[in-house]
Amino acid sequence: MQTVRNFINGEWVEAEAKEFGDVWCPATGEKIAQAPFSTAAEMDRAVQAAKNAYWEWRCTPPLSRARYFFRLKNLFEEAFEDIAKVLVTEEGKTLDEARGEVRRMIENVEHATGVTTLMTGYNLEDIAQGIDCTAERQPIGVFGAIVPFNFPAMVPWWFLPYAVVCGNTFIVKPSEQVPLTQTRIFEVVDECGFPEGVVNMVHGAKEVVNAMLLHPDVQGVSFVGQSSTARHVYKTCGETGKRVQSLGGAKNFLVVMPDANLEAGMPSIITSFYGCAGERCLSGSVLVAVGDVYGELKERFVAAARALKVGNGLEEGVQMGPVISKKSKERILGTIEKGIQEGAKLILDGRSIQVPGLPNGFFIGPTVLDEVRPEMTIAREEVFGPVVSIIRVKDLDEAIRLAQSSEYGNAACLYTSSGKTVREFKYRVPASMLGVNIGIAAPMAFFPFGGAKASFFGDIKGHGREIVQFFTDTKVVIQRWL
Amino acid sequence: MELGTFGAVMAFASQAVTQSAEFYETARERAKGPELKDVLKSLQDGANRDRATMEQTRRENVTEMILEPIAGLRREEYEVRLSEVAPEADAEILKTALLLEERDQRWFRDSSAKLPLPEVARLFRKVARRKEGTILKLRALTG
Repeated sequence: MQTVRNFINGEWVEAEAKEFGDVWCPATGEKIAQAPFSTAAEMDRAVQAAKNAYWEWRCTPPLSRARYFFRLKNLFEEAFEDIAKVLVTEEGKTLDEARGEVRRMIENVEHATGVTTLMTGYNLEDIAQGIDCTAERQPIGVFGAIVPFNFPAMVPWWFLPYAVVCGNTFIVKPSEQVPLTQTRIFEVVDECGFPEGVVNMVHGAKEVVNAMLLHPDVQGVSFVGQSSTARHVYKTCGETGKRVQSLGGAKNFLVVMPDANLEAGMPSIITSFYGCAGERCLSGSVLVAVGDVYGELKERFVAAARALKVGNGLEEGVQMGPVISKKSKERILGTIEKGIQEGAKLILDGRSIQVPGLPNGFFIGPTVLDEVRPEMTIAREEVFGPVVSIIRVKDLDEAIRLAQSSEYGNAACLYTSSGKTVREFKYRVPASMLGVNIGIAAPMAFFPFGGAKASFFGDIKGHGREIVQFFTDTKVVIQRWL
Repeated sequence: MELGTFGAVMAFASQAVTQSAEFYETARERAKGPELKDVLKSLQDGANRDRATMEQTRRENVTEMILEPIAGLRREEYEVRLSEVAPEADAEILKTALLLEERDQRWFRDSSAKLPLPEVARLFRKVARRKEGTILKLRALTG
């Protein structure tokens, strides 16, 4: 049984952990590895290594730093299929989804190589008579990322390349449920040959998370996970004077208008809800049928959902894989049950799906609950599974009020052929990532990723141009020559 | 079996050109006529280039945002089952080469119309177009 190792100061080191977390293959239900719950002392060693590496790295010209990432991009391309397969094995998503994730990881590396443009400051002569002013971006020190299970390859790389290319040093704490993917990725990082201590990885759970959050030498933290934890991270970083960007959960509404092109739109509507088995913060969760589109939409949606091929994501052609764990499966089944108890009508039941040859996999088939009302738990709380709630509303205004009333504000999507409707929707819906006739409104590396309300705590979101502000301080120099 | 995902389509595309490349390699060793040997070498190079392109395309054009189900492509309609023993006679080799090239052309042309990714569809159309010249040449050789 493989036990993953930490990567500290350019070396692979066994963790000193006494406790370990099991790593499962969600498709087979077999235990495939274990993740050490490293100690606070080990996080401290990683922080010290990153701190020691900082000054020399900070003094390395940005273009030289970028060259490491050019090299890394090529190495990632070579390891592409391998990383994707490791990801599928421990996370459960399909090969296509894993490839898409690895692609997005690489896109962030590509974007970060533009540091010589992204990181430039600005200046103005004669801000007063004979006095000039410059604003320069400078790196800050040691940063860290705490990341979730659902995108084990991509999410750390929403942050790492930008932090490091700007001259900071970095520590990744992968999810203890899926440590193998980032371990494989760090093998490539190791091959790339960054100076010792510039990039580090520490496996673990609560102890190392808190050690990072409380460490006086960590200057900033990027977090992605549940909203309750995101709030805790935000609060703790505030108390310890760190920069923080903390991305939380979601409850995303997908609104379909009567003038939507259902035939052309249905593949992306289906993908929104059931892609990655619904385990992504951009997944549709509530299908809002506006006016008389309800009947046809429901009929087409259920037919398309029923046709999805569920199975082991490693098998080419499978369209939906299992959920991450037995515990998660049980939680999702409980949520479905609660929905039924609260009065929703189960019109597609994926609870007892059997996948041939995989009796122990953590599978839930596509599930649809109809006649859901906004006050029901299933309409309000994040499910993070392949479960869809259909709510019928009379008009756009009611649909928008529904989205406005949500605790979350991550993403929302609209299907329509009316520009006026689109304008109204984007003007009033509070979610930060909107899709128009697209079911997964996922900003690419060069646009910011993050939500609003309980979906995001902080100011500067993940990747995009703005992230350089998070990883740098703007130093203003006012000069006069006497 | 329906090829209902981007990965399944790309995997089949890769398998098809690999099958062709492997046949051309074996057949080239058996062919007797020098002109046929040259043709097979050229076909093999083309198929290997297509295989590398398919792998690169699968890596670079997979867009997580629009991984939507694909409908209307079935593997059985494009499968060519070759005998385990490669043909010996030049005429038979040519016939099989033509069969493979025609299959590849039909596959890339049909699937380009079903793919939701314009960049990949464009590439598939390009491969199908390139096959036109090859097919004409092979038909001329088969008489």
